[in-house]
Amino acid sequence: MNLLLIALAAAALFGLTLFFAGLLGVAKEKLRVDEDPRIGQINEVLPAANCGGCGYAGCSDFAKAVVEDRAPCDGCPVGGSKTAELVAKILGVEVVKTYPFRPILHCGAKNHEKLGRVRYDGVQTCAEAHVVGVTQACTYGCLGYGDCVKACTFGAMVMVEGSPVVIYDKCTGCGACARACPRNLIENIPFKQKHMLAVACANPEPAKNVKQVCTAGCVGCKVCQKLFNELFEVRNNLACLNYDTYNGEEDLDKLFKKCPASALVYFGGEKPERAKELAAEMAGTAEESDG
Amino acid sequence: MDFGALIGIFISIVLVNNLVLSQFLGICPFLGVSRKVDMAFGMGCAVTFVITVSGVVTWLIVHGIFQPLGQSLLGDPNALNFLKYVAFIMVIASMVQLVEMYLRKFFPPLYSAFGVFLPLITTNCAILGTCLYIDMKPETQHLLNAAVYAFGGGVGFAIAITIMAGVREHIQFSDVPKPLRGPGITLLVASILALAFMGFMGIGA
Repeated sequence: MNLLLIALAAAALFGLTLFFAGLLGVAKEKLRVDEDPRIGQINEVLPAANCGGCGYAGCSDFAKAVVEDRAPCDGCPVGGSKTAELVAKILGVEVVKTYPFRPILHCGAKNHEKLGRVRYDGVQTCAEAHVVGVTQACTYGCLGYGDCVKACTFGAMVMVEGSPVVIYDKCTGCGACARACPRNLIENIPFKQKHMLAVACANPEPAKNVKQVCTAGCVGCKVCQKLFNELFEVRNNLACLNYDTYNGEEDLDKLFKKCPASALVYFGGEKPERAKELAAEMAGTAEESDG
Repeated sequence: MDFGALIGIFISIVLVNNLVLSQFLGICPFLGVSRKVDMAFGMGCAVTFVITVSGVVTWLIVHGIFQPLGQSLLGDPNALNFLKYVAFIMVIASMVQLVEMYLRKFFPPLYSAFGVFLPLITTNCAILGTCLYIDMKPETQHLLNAAVYAFGGGVGFAIAITIMAGVREHIQFSDVPKPLRGPGITLLVASILALAFMGFMGIGA
């Protein structure tokens, strides 16, 4: 009796299972939707973490978005460049390498290099001092009251001798400092290397006027433009470095020897060895000529 | 099996014995998918469809397979009743899969609008509950009655979840006391809705 019951139950359930399995199997064939095979292929090379870090609801959703050209192939933050390459291979496109954007400061003058600084007892913020306008002679340069440092929520900025220094290990490139600066001296540039060159001056006045207000400013002599025409352009008496063509690896020794101002500054990690030596040499020659 | 009895069954399950608000089944989608009216209505429609199909199919399984088998081989029509749960879950899961495939083929916009909620119907206790009720209640001994009961259950769920979504859409703009924000006010609203539906008690009984 019990054996019969068990056998009957098993048979009934087995029959039902078979029936529904068959039904679903047939339905799968009949109701099949032909989707792009690349979606499946891309889904396979993705990390399958379904973390949603890309902004889509899981890896398969992201794969679909990539195929439909709604998402970039390097959109997976977990897989990184390796996954991006695999995805790009499936899609038959090239990965454009992207770089993190990090802030650099278009004013390299320390407090002793800024001329005509006066005692300022007003509200100790750059925004306020900028409105007052007469706290230092250079009306373009860094005021040094640290609005950018206060704006940084990651503790990635400190003031050193009246000039903000970015701690690039902590920086996330959020751009809060750039928005805080009333003089728009902070620019986010693509960091193609650990250290990037930047023109650390924003004063567009002629050389004479610049020299009156600062000892470190760019005088617009166009030496850089003559030596490295593809990289530099002098606009409004101010050298501008083109970050589309500059990739951080160029040998700019020649330029460091010729540039009369110390307005070319490396930001980020350590300066390349050679640049450091050159800087030391230049400091030496400057002292000699002074003497 | 007269027409009046069918209407009685329908009204009873939609309003008086509303699945969500009187029997407290399917609370998870009721609270989870009731943030926007159109989404809630879509969920209600999907549940109505699955609940109707599963109600009919499970009725057929019980009355067409289990009872004759038990009667003829074991002498007791209810001998195989312990298989109900397993079989019903299987039916519901298969039906959901089927609906999903069908929608994907013929109504892709609806399919993408449902998204993850469609597979989630599988675990909606309102559906399994309805199937089990159908098997228990004396008034659903006929297939048509069972179909109307199941369909009514789905409609009742759709009504409840749509009302809830409407209320919640308004709550978003109201000044809710701080400790009640989020789940607190939602559960309060659900309880008041349930109280309101208690007012239908006695109709057609």
